[in-house]
Amino acid sequence: MNALVLGAGTMGNAHSAAYAKMEGVRLCGIVDVNEEKAKQLADRYGTQAFTSYQEAKQQIAAIDVVSVCLPTPLHKEMVMQVAEDKSHIVCEKPLARHLDDAREMIQYCQQQGVRLFVGHVVRFFPEYVQAKQVLDTEKIGQPVIARTTRGGAFPRASNDWYANFIKSGGVILDTVIHDFDFLRWCFGDVERVYAKTSRGRTAGSIEYALITLRFENGVIAHVEGTWAHQTFHTKLEIAGKDGIIQHDSSAVNPVVLEKKAQANEAAGVAVPSSPSKDNPYFLEIEHFIECIKEDKEPIVTAEDAYKAMEIALAALESIETRKPVYLTHSTDLEGVR
Amino acid sequence: MKVGIISFAHGHANGYANALKQIDGVELYGIADEEEERGRQAADRFGSIYFADYQDLLKEPIDAVVVTSENQKHLEHVKAAAEHGKHILCEKPLSSNVQDAEEMIRVCKEKGVILQTAFPVRFNTPIQHAKKVIDSGELGNIVAIKGTNRGTNPGGWFVQKEKSGGGAVIDHTVHVVDIIRWFTKAEIVEVYAEIDDKLSDYEIDDTGLLTMEFDNGMFATLDCSWSRNKSFPTWGDVTLEIVGTNGTLSVDAFAQKMDVYHEDGVNWSFWGDNMDQGLVEDFVQTVRVKGRPSISGEDGLKALEAAMAAYQSSERKEAVAIKDL
Repeated sequence: MNALVLGAGTMGNAHSAAYAKMEGVRLCGIVDVNEEKAKQLADRYGTQAFTSYQEAKQQIAAIDVVSVCLPTPLHKEMVMQVAEDKSHIVCEKPLARHLDDAREMIQYCQQQGVRLFVGHVVRFFPEYVQAKQVLDTEKIGQPVIARTTRGGAFPRASNDWYANFIKSGGVILDTVIHDFDFLRWCFGDVERVYAKTSRGRTAGSIEYALITLRFENGVIAHVEGTWAHQTFHTKLEIAGKDGIIQHDSSAVNPVVLEKKAQANEAAGVAVPSSPSKDNPYFLEIEHFIECIKEDKEPIVTAEDAYKAMEIALAALESIETRKPVYLTHSTDLEGVR
Repeated sequence: MKVGIISFAHGHANGYANALKQIDGVELYGIADEEEERGRQAADRFGSIYFADYQDLLKEPIDAVVVTSENQKHLEHVKAAAEHGKHILCEKPLSSNVQDAEEMIRVCKEKGVILQTAFPVRFNTPIQHAKKVIDSGELGNIVAIKGTNRGTNPGGWFVQKEKSGGGAVIDHTVHVVDIIRWFTKAEIVEVYAEIDDKLSDYEIDDTGLLTMEFDNGMFATLDCSWSRNKSFPTWGDVTLEIVGTNGTLSVDAFAQKMDVYHEDGVNWSFWGDNMDQGLVEDFVQTVRVKGRPSISGEDGLKALEAAMAAYQSSERKEAVAIKDL
C-alpha cells in the first residue's frame, strides 16, 4: 500500500512516522509547498519530497491512501481532489471549517467509493480508551458530570493560520473538538451547548474557552480549551453515581530527565516523557489501514467527525448569541462563519 | 470578650468553636441549640454553658454570636441577635433566599451591629497568596476564571430543601463566587447554569455547573457539585484557574496534604494553615475595634444572588441577569 502525506507540519510528521514504521505500507512521498520542510521530512523517512499533490501524482504510479495534514481551510479542496483520484483519505481534524463543506466532503467520498477517515486520535490514546472501558463496565455507575481540559501554548504554524479565527475556528473547533468527540463516544449525542471564550475580549495571542454541554442522556460536561498556558496538558474526570475516573497528563511522568545546568544557564530543564511502544497516531492510522484492507467500520467515522464539528460550531454560535444552542436545530448552524 | 454560638446544626460550628478557644481574651460563653443532646455535647466538649433557648443566651452579657444554624433559620437567629445588640458572624450561605438575606442586612444596619459572612476560604493561606499575585498585576488583565468547589454530599438538613433552600448549588456556589469577587473586584451580571440531582438518591440538586459574565468583561465557570464520593481521599476542593493576558495562575486551596494509606484505602491529610482560625480572629478583631467587617453581609448577599440566579437559569434554560432576580 502506498501512502502519501500532504503537509510537513506537526501532524504530517506524526503521520509520516506512523506510515514509515507500519508493515505492509510504503510511505511514498511527502508534499509541502515549503520545499525545504518537505525534503527534511522525506529524508528522515527515506522517501521523496514534492511541492504539490499534482507533482506527486505524476511521479507515483499508484497512491492508495493520502493523509491530509494541512491547515483546516485547505482540507476540502484536497479531500475532493484526492477522492476524485479514487485514493482513500485520512484527514486531520477538524474535518472542515464549516458543516456544509464537511457534508459535501463526506458525500463525495461516498460517491467516489473511497474511504474517508478523520484524525480524532484521542480515541486511540490509551488513557482515554481505558476511561471509556471503565465507564462501560459500569464500575462508576451512571455517569453524571464530566470535566475535560486540553491545551497549552498558542499554536504557531505556517502563516500563523491558527491565529486567524476565520480559518481555524480557534481553540474550540481546532483543539477541544477532540474532547467533544470523546465525550460523544462516551455519552451519546449532545442536546445543548453553552460557551464562552476570551476571543474578542482581549488582544494578543491567547484563547481560553469554557464550554458546558448537556447530553441527551442527562450528563453535564465542562470542557476547558486553552491556548493561554505554556505546556500542553490534558485532563479528564467523570463522576458517576458510584465512582470517579480521573486522569491528569501533567501527573503522568514515568521518565524525567534533569540535566545539569550549563555554564550560561540559570538552571537545567527537566524533560518529562511518557513513552509507549506505539504512539496513538500509529495506532490510529494502523486501524484506518486495517479498515481499508478488511472493509471494516472504523472506531471513529467521518459522521462522528461531522457530529463533533456540530458541537464545536454550536459552541461558537452560543458565544455569539449568549444563549444555549440546541443541536436538534443543527441546520441553523451553517450561519456561523 | 464573650462570644456565644447559636446552633451546631452546621458542622463548621466545631471549627469556629475551636478557633474561639485559641484566642486570648475570648471566652466561648455559651452554646444554644434546640437539639439538646447535640448542644450539651458541644458545651461539654468546649467547656461552655448549654442554653436550650437561644433567646436566653442572647440575654447574657455576651458581645457577639456565631450563627451556625440551618440556612433557613439564619434570619430568625440574626434578627434576634441584632435586637439584643450582639455582633454576628453568620455561616454561609447568608440565607436560604435573597429576601431574608436583605432583611438580615437591613436589621443589622438599623441596630448598629456588625454582620460578617463566614467565608473562611478568604483566610486560606494559598488563596491569600494568590490574591497578592493578582494584586501585583503580574497576570495582566484577568480574562477568565475556572473554579471548582466540589464536595461530598453532607446529607442531613442540607438535603432538606425547606431547611437549606437548596442543595449543592446554594451550598457550594457562594465560596468561590466570593473569592472571584474579592480577587477581581468585579460583579456578576449574568448567570447560566446546568443543574441536576442524579449523583445521589436525595431529591435535591447535587450537580451544578455555572457560567458567569462579569461587569469588567471577564467570564468564569464554577463546578459546585457534591461529586466527591465516599472513597475519594478527601472531602472536596476549592480550585481556581485564573487566566490573565500575561499568564495563568493555578490555585488549589487544599493541596497541602499528605497521603495516608490504611485498611480503608487512602486519605489526604491536610497540613496547611487553619483558615477557620483566620476567619474567627478577624471577626473578633472587628468586634474589638467596632470596625467594618472584612466580609460584609452584602458580600454574603452577592454570592447568594449568584446561586439563586443559577437555580432560575436552570429552570428557564437560559442565562439570567442578576438585575432581573
